[in-house]
Amino acid sequence: MDQQFTLTKEVRGECLIVTTSGYINNVGGEAIASECGAHFANGIQDVILNLEYSKVVNSIGMSYIIEIIERLQETGGTLVFTNLDAAVEKMLSIMGLFKYARKEATVADALSALGRKGVGHESR
Amino acid sequence: MRLHLTLPRIPDIELVAIEGLERLARHLGIADDKVGEARILVAEAVTNALEHAGDTPPTVRVEFTLTTEEIVIFVQDRGKGFDPAAVEDPDITGKLGSSNKRGWGLKLMKSLSDDFRIESGSQGTTISIRKLLR
Repeated sequence: MDQQFTLTKEVRGECLIVTTSGYINNVGGEAIASECGAHFANGIQDVILNLEYSKVVNSIGMSYIIEIIERLQETGGTLVFTNLDAAVEKMLSIMGLFKYARKEATVADALSALGRKGVGHESR
Repeated sequence: MRLHLTLPRIPDIELVAIEGLERLARHLGIADDKVGEARILVAEAVTNALEHAGDTPPTVRVEFTLTTEEIVIFVQDRGKGFDPAAVEDPDITGKLGSSNKRGWGLKLMKSLSDDFRIESGSQGTTISIRKLLR
């Protein structure tokens, strides 16, 4: 399994979709937070974090995700995790992240859920 | 089946331990989804140990004993030790708004394992984790 961290991003309206690959440790977590931070300045309201290709994460990496949740709370935005490996999902649950973030099976589901929230990210 | 490693403090070295775990598991015919939580445990245990390993030497000793039923993970550092009872249980609500968002390692290792033991003193810290591979 290649654990080299990379991320890709896509903006849909006011929603940033970040898809990661590889190990999310302090370096990966910081990269995600930095990417989100850059987009918050451009009016991004919600973040979808697709972890389909990240089967190994550590809690230091996740501490950066808590920063993102904190920032989104300030603006009424939402973080949605998608495509979670069962073990990663359990880890995030133990950390209590789902009290302040959502989870959906897929990015499409997350976009739909955010749309229902009234944010309206779907393409016209 | 047993694997012993001595890991130096270099970035991402915990991935070597995880790779070793995965290879042992594959050799024993254990499905990848059964080792998912063990991967997280190894990442937490090794990262935590390396952070507190001290400099004499800046290494941690890792040992896996793997059967088709369970994995036993042993991680030892030679740091200055700490009092596990004095470590506060982290809480997400408290972390939000706090400058320190870290400190989840012990909670995760206790919660994800089927048996968790820690011994710590001035000569270092040893963590033993038993994880059933259901």
